[in-house]
Amino acid sequence: MMRAQTIMVWTGGIALVTAASLNVLAVIGRHTGLPLKGAIELVQVGVLVAGSLALVMATLARNHARVHLILDRLTGTRRVVADRICTALSIVFYLLLLSGSLWLARDLWGSQEVSELLDVPWRWMRGFLNAALVVVIALLVRQLTERAKP
Amino acid sequence: MILATPETGLVGLVLLFAMLLCGVPIGVSLGLVGIGGLVFALGPEAAVVKAGVVVVETLTRYELGTLPLFMLMAHLFFSANASRDLFDAAAKMVGHRRGGLAYASIGGCAGFGAINGSSLATAATIGLVALPEMRQRGYSDALATGTVAAGGTLGQMLPPSGALIVYGIIAEQSIGKLFTATLIPGISQMLFYCVVVWLLVRWRPSIAPVGERASWAERGRALLRIADMIGLLAVVLGGIVLGWFSPSEASSIGTAGALLITTWRRRLTREVLFRAFSETLRTSGLIFLVIIGAIIFSVFISVTGLTDAVGQAVTAMNLGTIPTLLVVAGLLLLLGSVLDGLALMLLTTPILLPIVQGVGMSPIWFGIFITRAMEIGFVHPPLGMNLYVIQGVAKDVPLNRIFRGVLPFLGSDLVHLLLLILFPAMALWLPTMFGQ
Repeated sequence: MMRAQTIMVWTGGIALVTAASLNVLAVIGRHTGLPLKGAIELVQVGVLVAGSLALVMATLARNHARVHLILDRLTGTRRVVADRICTALSIVFYLLLLSGSLWLARDLWGSQEVSELLDVPWRWMRGFLNAALVVVIALLVRQLTERAKP
Repeated sequence: MILATPETGLVGLVLLFAMLLCGVPIGVSLGLVGIGGLVFALGPEAAVVKAGVVVVETLTRYELGTLPLFMLMAHLFFSANASRDLFDAAAKMVGHRRGGLAYASIGGCAGFGAINGSSLATAATIGLVALPEMRQRGYSDALATGTVAAGGTLGQMLPPSGALIVYGIIAEQSIGKLFTATLIPGISQMLFYCVVVWLLVRWRPSIAPVGERASWAERGRALLRIADMIGLLAVVLGGIVLGWFSPSEASSIGTAGALLITTWRRRLTREVLFRAFSETLRTSGLIFLVIIGAIIFSVFISVTGLTDAVGQAVTAMNLGTIPTLLVVAGLLLLLGSVLDGLALMLLTTPILLPIVQGVGMSPIWFGIFITRAMEIGFVHPPLGMNLYVIQGVAKDVPLNRIFRGVLPFLGSDLVHLLLLILFPAMALWLPTMFGQ
């Protein structure tokens, strides 16, 4: 697991740095009369890769933005039950996102959907996102089924 | 359409509020209520397909890169000791005056806030550096902790503010314009805090003893240490304001510059880079989920026609611009005492934005206004996240003393919010001047 996490961090980080570098080159190119064709499309790919891995990383770290007003006042079993319900609801939400995304992927599979300037094949990008959503759901299921720590 | 009525929207809103209070993750609450509501309003197939469209479209949005890239810049600067250097430079300049370290803390918070765009991170980071120094020099606990807790809120009010980036994405407004618009409110908020410190130390001089004056050589060295960071920030923010590049490009230039600066300072190791990547991805994932949920929820709210109905009801009341805005501010402050900042913004924007537009205010102004209102929630109980963060740094200071310390700043916050309502030009003048 640690190795997979390390690979995800480096992949997501490098995707971000690559997107940043392309943007910097695009700015320099624009101001020097040598515009970088399709930079925005490549940045979008970087954002999608980093964003998909970011969802996995946040789930792995159990990093959730939530309101703690009531939650922090719960102790023992009640807190465990509340956390499990939240995890179960998260699974339902991600399953719905995955279903919608797979539905679209299926409908658009044969349409050779590509980007405007560089012909980036969006179906593979969509596939990457769907794979990330599957991993997120698997991680959440594992969190739901593991024993509560004393 | 099956149940696309304002009543459905209202039920969804109540359900969302309940789920948020029960501690369901914000993004999940927004998304589930949104998809559930769309099932009733449009049918199951359309609801699920819409969710799929939103997740793909959101994660391929060019502007979305702005958020993780600014975060990466902040994490790199953090490893380059930015918070210590910024506070030291401010302390060397004004630390010898009565209350000087409190001014320096506010300056440090503004400087670090301009790097990382987060209130909690700013309060925690500057608190770690400034609190021990102030307490060692005999500053009262209330003044020291109150200053840093309030100063931390500058993180969201100065560009590149994370809250404004999220608002820009969900309200489909120009992030560059929002960054330019927040400059005067952010800087005036900082000056308000300085005035509060000045009044407090004049009233009770014993709470902030006078310190030793640093020599000009020491001041010069301290300023030189932050020159590279300040120079990069000036290019990043100046470039956005002057229209040389978009916020997304600015965040890329900031990241590239931060990589160069940390390398120049011999701080860039494999471990530092890994930690920066890891923290950036974890925090971005959390916010991306919230954005996806918020967009699905706002689609549901707009399909039900709730915003139109509320807008018509408010127009029918014929309150006028200022009273309407005061009611909106009151509502935000009330909700801000039970919901945290992000939840407050995402829950209320789809409903309140059309109302505010209906009374003639621009969405850009509303972005600054709601961020300002949500910042106030960071320093008042029962939530008051910054208060807890500061207590985490100064564990021996009781929470009620921290709250007593932050009260005068809270008072200035309310006056500042009122000024923003009475003088919208505070937010709108700069973008107009720069032709944005």
